[in-house]
Amino acid sequence: MASSLLRPPGHLSPATALQLSQQAPIIIKNSPGAVTASALSSLFSAPETPELWTIYENLLLSCLRTGDEESAHLCLGRLVNRFGDDNERVMALIGLMKEADATDDATLEVVLKEYEALLQENPTNIPIVKRRVALLRSIGRIPDAVTALTGLLDFSPTDSEAWSELSDIYFSQGLYSQAIFALEEVLVLQPNAWNIHARIGELLLMSVKSGSGDQNDSAKQLGEALKRFCRSIELCDDYLRGYYGLKLVCFYDPPYRPSKAVGLTSRKTTTQLLNDPPKPPKQAESDGLAPPNLSTLQKLDGLATEKLGEITRRFTAGEKGLAGL
Amino acid sequence: MAQLPPQTIQRDPQLFYWILFPITVVMILTGILRHYATVLMASPPKKVEQPALKEQRSLMHGVAVRSNFHVLTAPSFKARREFLTTAFESGAYLKDPERRGQPPANPMTDPGAMDGMMGMMKNNMAMMVPNTLIMSWINTFFSGFVILKLPFPITIKFKSMLQAGVATKEMDPRWMSSISWYFLCYFGLQFVFNFLLGSDNAASQMAQQMQGMAPQAPNMFGPGVDADKQFQAEAENLAVIKHYSVLDDVEQRLLEGIKTR
Repeated sequence: MASSLLRPPGHLSPATALQLSQQAPIIIKNSPGAVTASALSSLFSAPETPELWTIYENLLLSCLRTGDEESAHLCLGRLVNRFGDDNERVMALIGLMKEADATDDATLEVVLKEYEALLQENPTNIPIVKRRVALLRSIGRIPDAVTALTGLLDFSPTDSEAWSELSDIYFSQGLYSQAIFALEEVLVLQPNAWNIHARIGELLLMSVKSGSGDQNDSAKQLGEALKRFCRSIELCDDYLRGYYGLKLVCFYDPPYRPSKAVGLTSRKTTTQLLNDPPKPPKQAESDGLAPPNLSTLQKLDGLATEKLGEITRRFTAGEKGLAGL
Repeated sequence: MAQLPPQTIQRDPQLFYWILFPITVVMILTGILRHYATVLMASPPKKVEQPALKEQRSLMHGVAVRSNFHVLTAPSFKARREFLTTAFESGAYLKDPERRGQPPANPMTDPGAMDGMMGMMKNNMAMMVPNTLIMSWINTFFSGFVILKLPFPITIKFKSMLQAGVATKEMDPRWMSSISWYFLCYFGLQFVFNFLLGSDNAASQMAQQMQGMAPQAPNMFGPGVDADKQFQAEAENLAVIKHYSVLDDVEQRLLEGIKTR
C-alpha cells in the first residue's frame, strides 16, 4: 500500500483510490506532522525522508479524488508547514485545493484570476501554468487552454506531460493530425513508451475512420497505425491495447470501398477482409511505410487473435500481474 | 640481539580527560556546526528567467530529437528537422538575440557566474576557518603532549605522522601526540558524522575534498558558453542524420520474435 502512495495516483483505479483515502486519517496520524529543524532533536529523531512528503502529496490527490476534503486539508497543511506557501509545487496544490472547494463558476473564475496574478509575477512557474491549463479546460475554455499550453511548450519543449495533455485536447476537438504530432513529441522525449506508441496507432486509426483524408492518405495512416501497434507489442509483450489495436487494423473495413457501398454485410469476417486487403500495396514505398503484404497481415491477425484469447482467458481465470492491463 | 624492554612513559591519567576527550568532542561539535552553517549559507537555487529557460530547453529538445529520431516516421522527422535547423540557425531560441556573434561575456562580470563563485568561496571558508582555529588552539594549549599509546606496533615511518610536535628521536612510534590525534580525528570522523547527520552531510572535510578532486562535468549552460555556437552545432548534427525508423519492418521482427520464442 505504501508503494502505491509513492507514485502519482493518476493510474490508480477508483477502488484503490477510495481505499487509500479511507486510510488517510490513520496514515496522517501515524506520520510525523512536522520535522523540526533544530539540531538537537534531529540527532535523536528519525531522519526526514523525501518519501514522507511524496506520500502526503499523493494522499492529498487521492483524498481530493474521493471527496475527503478534511484529510486533504490536513495533508496540505503539513506540506505548507514544511515547504512554505511560496514553493511552486505547493502553490499548485493550494490552487488545486481551492478549485476543489469551489462550488460555482464564479469561485473558479477567482481562482483563475489568482493563477494569472501568480504568473504575472513569475511566468516560469510551471506547476501553476499547468493548473491554469487544467482549470481552463475544465471550465470549457478550450481555445484558451490550448493557447496557454502552447505558450508553455514554447519555452519548455521538453515537457512530455504538457505534450500529452495538448494531444488529448486536440483529440477531444477532433484534430487528429495535431494530436498525433504532439504525441510524436512525447515519443521523442520518451522513446520507449509503448502506451504512447499504441495511442498514436489508435489516433491514426480513428483519423482514418473519420474519413478526413483521401484514400492515399488513409492507406498510409493505416500502415503506420499497424506499425505503431507492432512496435508497442514489441516493447511490451502482453500489452492488451497493442494487440487489440492490431486486431482492429487487420479487421478494418474501409468505408470507401465499393463492396461496402453495395451494402453486403456491415460486419465482415477477417478472412474476407484479408482476401481483399484494405490497403493497395503499391503506395507509400518512399516513406518506408509500405503496408505489409497479405500473408504478413494474416499472420499478424492470427497472432493478435491468439494473444487476445490468451489474455482474456487469463483475465477471466483471475490471474494477477498481467502486464498489459 | 636482546629484546629491547618496552618503553614505558608515566602518563598522568588526567591527560585523557583534559586533552584527548576535549579534542574529540570539539572536533565532533565543529563538524556538526559546519554542517548547519553550510545548510544556512546555501543560497537557494536561482530562478531561471523565461528566455534562459527557453534557450536551455530548446537545446535539450534538439538533442532529444537528434538522439531519438528513430521513433519518428520519415515525413514527420523531415518536418521537424527542417523546422529545428532553421530555428537553430536563425537563433530564434537565443536568450538575447541581439548579442549573437559577439564573444561571450567575461564570467567575472556576469552576476550569475559571480553567484556560483561566491558559493564555492563560502564552502571553502566553512572548511578553512574552523580548521585553522582548532589547529592553532591545539598548538597553543596542547603541543608537546604525548597522550596515547596505540595498542598495536607500527613501523618507524609513522613517527613523523603520529608524533608531530614531539621532537624525541628514540621514542617508540606507538606513542601519539595531541596534534596527531587531531589529524586522526580530522580524517576519521566521517562515519561518526554519517551516523549523526545522515549520509549527505556537509560536516566531513574528506568528502568535500574528494568532491573537489573529481573532474567537474562540463557545464552545458554555464556562464561563458556561447549558446549560439551550441545551437549551430546542434543544427549541423540534425542536418547530417541519416534517418531510419524503428517502424521499418517492425511486423517482420515481431513475427520472427514470436516464432523463435
